[in-house]
Amino acid sequence: MTATVQSPAPARTLRRARRRWVPPYLFLLPAGVLFIAFFAIPIVYAIYLSFRGFRVTGGGPFGVRQEAWVGFENYIKTFAEPEFLAGFGRLAIYGVIAVPLTLGLALIFALLLDLPRIRAARFSRTAIFIPYAVPGVIASLLWGFLYLPSTSPLNWILDKLGLPDVVMLSGGALYPAIANVAIWGGVGFNMIIIYTSLRGIPSEIYEAARIDGANEWTIAWRIKIPLVGPALVLTGLFSLIGTLQVYGEPTTLRPMTTEISQTWVPLMKIYRDAFARDDLSLAAASSVILAIGTLVVSVILLRATQRKSFGGGE
Amino acid sequence: MQRSRMATALVGVAVTGAILAGCSSGESTDEPSTASDGPVTLEYWAWNESQEKIVAAWNESHPDIQVKHSDVGGGGDTSAKLVTSTRAGNAPDVALVEYNTLPAMIVAGVAADITEYTGELAEQFAPGVWSQTTFDGATYGVPQDTGPQALNYNKARFDELGVEVPTTWEEFAEAAEAIHTADPDAYITTFAPAEFGGFAAFAQQAGAEWWSVDGDTWTVDIDGEASKAVADYWQDLIDRDLVLAEPLLTPEWNASLNEGNILSWPAGIWAAGVLYGVGEQMEGEWALAPLPQWTPGDASAAFQGGSGAIVTTSSEHPKEAAEFAAFMASAEVGQIQIDTGGYPASLAGQELTLESEPPALMSNQDDYWDVAAEIAASTIPDLSWGPNVNVASSAFEDAMASAITNGTPLADALTETEKVVVEDMRSAGFEVEAD
Repeated sequence: MTATVQSPAPARTLRRARRRWVPPYLFLLPAGVLFIAFFAIPIVYAIYLSFRGFRVTGGGPFGVRQEAWVGFENYIKTFAEPEFLAGFGRLAIYGVIAVPLTLGLALIFALLLDLPRIRAARFSRTAIFIPYAVPGVIASLLWGFLYLPSTSPLNWILDKLGLPDVVMLSGGALYPAIANVAIWGGVGFNMIIIYTSLRGIPSEIYEAARIDGANEWTIAWRIKIPLVGPALVLTGLFSLIGTLQVYGEPTTLRPMTTEISQTWVPLMKIYRDAFARDDLSLAAASSVILAIGTLVVSVILLRATQRKSFGGGE
Repeated sequence: MQRSRMATALVGVAVTGAILAGCSSGESTDEPSTASDGPVTLEYWAWNESQEKIVAAWNESHPDIQVKHSDVGGGGDTSAKLVTSTRAGNAPDVALVEYNTLPAMIVAGVAADITEYTGELAEQFAPGVWSQTTFDGATYGVPQDTGPQALNYNKARFDELGVEVPTTWEEFAEAAEAIHTADPDAYITTFAPAEFGGFAAFAQQAGAEWWSVDGDTWTVDIDGEASKAVADYWQDLIDRDLVLAEPLLTPEWNASLNEGNILSWPAGIWAAGVLYGVGEQMEGEWALAPLPQWTPGDASAAFQGGSGAIVTTSSEHPKEAAEFAAFMASAEVGQIQIDTGGYPASLAGQELTLESEPPALMSNQDDYWDVAAEIAASTIPDLSWGPNVNVASSAFEDAMASAITNGTPLADALTETEKVVVEDMRSAGFEVEAD
């Protein structure tokens, strides 16, 4: 009896519930499909590949190589290879030059642009930002021509003055030369983030500070920089991840010098393993390690800086 | 994952198909339905300037077998893409492959055994050329162009500085000194660490055999006596600042070349085309001479570069594909190659060269093609490349580059390269002996 009376009610609520629940998922669907197709599946496939390897199965000197399960062999090989680890060493030198300079210059430019009564602000902002719009490969080629002794305008001038050539793509100048390409391209982007954050600071704070007798220098140091802390953390994180992913600049400059090897940075080694040496599995294992490493470093950085810039407590 | 298993299955089917086709050769009278079912379309990957014309000529005379050409990049890129596309099951039917990467294509399951289709084609090539595509008695491709190593030199500058063209490597070193003394900005040539093929050819000329097969066992000997002697020879020239040690074809190098400060390039005879591409203004100033020899009076040189057309294991029309590959032996293709700056592999094509004009860079050398024919006739036959030349080439490049940067012996770089090559072959499951 009760069942017959009550049965329509749950059905109606169910239908209503469904009506309420379906649209969000429908809207999520395109993003979800793209996420699964181009992010989740490739990651899972890369992890799967990292446990595989090509082994000769046919026998004989021209036996055909086929895919087989090799367990953790590729991971062990990645860590056992001194070149992979040396790549991180070179990356560290590069990062120590590139990251502080990029962020430092970005901050200085942003603060300068934020000064009251600044002239030609819009022009300067665009001028500083434009290099970011130049693709990395083009930028590297451009700088490569500027670095090479016989095409370099600097060396042309030095030559006319009877001074010795400056060699940029070998010896001690190599790291600054490569970092310079990234700094040139990266400052503008980071500056915009910091500058946007500066514009978001309410002007009452500055007025109060000026009434208290603060000059522009004190305002920048005591108010602006602490308040754009989160933007600095964000740009710092971007730069750190960008450093771990350095590939385009050294790869483009490599044909111009003998000093950049095919395994100069970790990503270049991964590319070489995958495409020059036909060892996709080793490349997959190294990629997984690099990705996990990047994740761990990012989390550590965020934890450490969050505590600092937001005053320590929850 | 699903997709990969599908791809593997497809490759598996293709491979099995090819093996079955190989097994049943001789008795199979009616080919799978393809031959009679209207026109067949073949996909063809190749990279040099003559390809468009070769394909156009074929398509005109073969309405039933139409070929669609794509340029997917140079030799290295094409090989890499062939391997991945074979695993994905969508490789082209026919592809151009450099001789030294052909063994790698065989063990990667890309190149199909086409012995049953090639029949008497061998007679249309010099034995040394034909052996570049035949392994263990099985033919995997039809040679298309070759690159016998020769001395490409800037005749105008040699004459200007009063230096004779060297015929031995000893004379080459003397010439290097004479040139650099006469003009301190000028160097006889460049030793480029990335030139794996060039160095391998130097070593082969000196008698080195980097890979060899005996039964099921490979022998790798990249740092043998002959190779080390070649490395030491160049080391000495570099140490005395008589040759440049830097990458080729950079803006820097091209500028020096055009200023007349790099006087020669010992490389495949295709070099005239490459040099013309970066230095058109030197038209007619260069000339071709045989490669300097280790022993006076000898006349031998190895191949540097050159490629052949293979049929892939993914092809559904291996018979038609092999037919198109065999077209490379024709005089028609030879003529197209000569017109576009290549050097044909076939005897028919090489004969045609004798009636042709020299390439633009060397347009003033009237006996150009005679010299070329002489060089081609003295190439070392029966060279064997290993199954992982790609690995060797990348290891060689890095080891040589770091030897030059750090000033360590070039010969040590050969030992380093051999170590990497042997390790890679062992981990892939080959039986390897290293000297």
